[in-house]
Amino acid sequence: MGPYGNDARGDGRDSTWDGRDDVRDTRGTRDDRDTRDDRWRRGEVPHWSELEEEDAEDESGSMVRPYTITRGRTAPERDDLTLITVLTTVEEEAAAALARGSRAGVRGLQPEHRMILERCRRPAAVAEVSAGLDLPVSVTKILLGDLVAQGLLRARAPLSVARAAGGVDLGLLTAVREGLRRL
Amino acid sequence: MATPHAATGAPGAATSPTSPTAPAAPAAVKILIAGGFGVGKTTLVGSVSEVTPLRTEEYLTRASVGVDDLSGVDQKDTTTVALDFGRITVSPELVVYLFGTPGQERFWFMWNDLVNGALGGIVIADTRRLESSFASIDFFESRGIPFVVAINCFHNTNTRTPDEIRAALDLDPQVPMLLGDVRERVFGRDLLLALVDHLMELASVAPVG
Repeated sequence: MGPYGNDARGDGRDSTWDGRDDVRDTRGTRDDRDTRDDRWRRGEVPHWSELEEEDAEDESGSMVRPYTITRGRTAPERDDLTLITVLTTVEEEAAAALARGSRAGVRGLQPEHRMILERCRRPAAVAEVSAGLDLPVSVTKILLGDLVAQGLLRARAPLSVARAAGGVDLGLLTAVREGLRRL
Repeated sequence: MATPHAATGAPGAATSPTSPTAPAAPAAVKILIAGGFGVGKTTLVGSVSEVTPLRTEEYLTRASVGVDDLSGVDQKDTTTVALDFGRITVSPELVVYLFGTPGQERFWFMWNDLVNGALGGIVIADTRRLESSFASIDFFESRGIPFVVAINCFHNTNTRTPDEIRAALDLDPQVPMLLGDVRERVFGRDLLLALVDHLMELASVAPVG
């Protein structure tokens, strides 16, 4: 168990997606409609920032060795997935794969694969998928790699910010600046 | 002067969509939020993020060099490290992810996926223990990642002038430094804007050599 707990938000459950979908309800503990944000706005729960930060001890732990989910694989089929690679479900192919069920032998979809396909119907970064599944990034990448390899997910690499070529693209910076000003 | 090199309308390596009905994936960039333990990194992420900060974990394996291990046996040491992150949707085509780096530098220093490709960073410092942010500043400097410094004043105990703080941190004069309360969304926004302005300045300076 590392020094960092997984409970900076206080309850470790509610806020994982972004409050707009309910995939995570397989965990069975949360109210379908209300995100923690909603409840915070109504004053029912403390704002997360008032909760203990960063150093809460992780007491829950995992009952399953994480690489069990990947059938023992510890490296993804592709190594180009980063924390902010954005994934999008390819609807037709995913629907067909889901309809085939999990009888397709070793290449069949596991529950985590299905959750990912559901989640990524709206584009999501690797880090977001990882947080939503409550799985470490490295495990998540293996599962995502499976789906990309099967053509069920599309991956979009992060924008290059290489500084060697004379700095970040000014058009990108201008776009970021415009967006931030609206905050 | 900025040379309009590679004016990319759709930058990044997107796989061409096979379905016209699928939602287009936005391009993503990331900004790192660093600083000493408990200095307010997650608070800052949350003050500007459009979603409650999410938490994710990673296993990091390091081969420990057994300084105090007389047996000489190399050990592999796997640590679980957590980080909190948030998101700002700049436009349907562009999302900024904000990653609070794990509190102890020795962890995020070896997490290449976390630091590679970052647009820039924000180092938060607390005037009561400036030294706890030295390592973050060193790290960004050594990696050539542009950054701005946030002096978090939410305890209202700051009795030092900006010049004193700048000197104590040994900051390059070009590095922007802002004082404020990281719980305030406006301050968080100003920090991000300061970082983007700093990046624009750097981009408009012709590269030497």
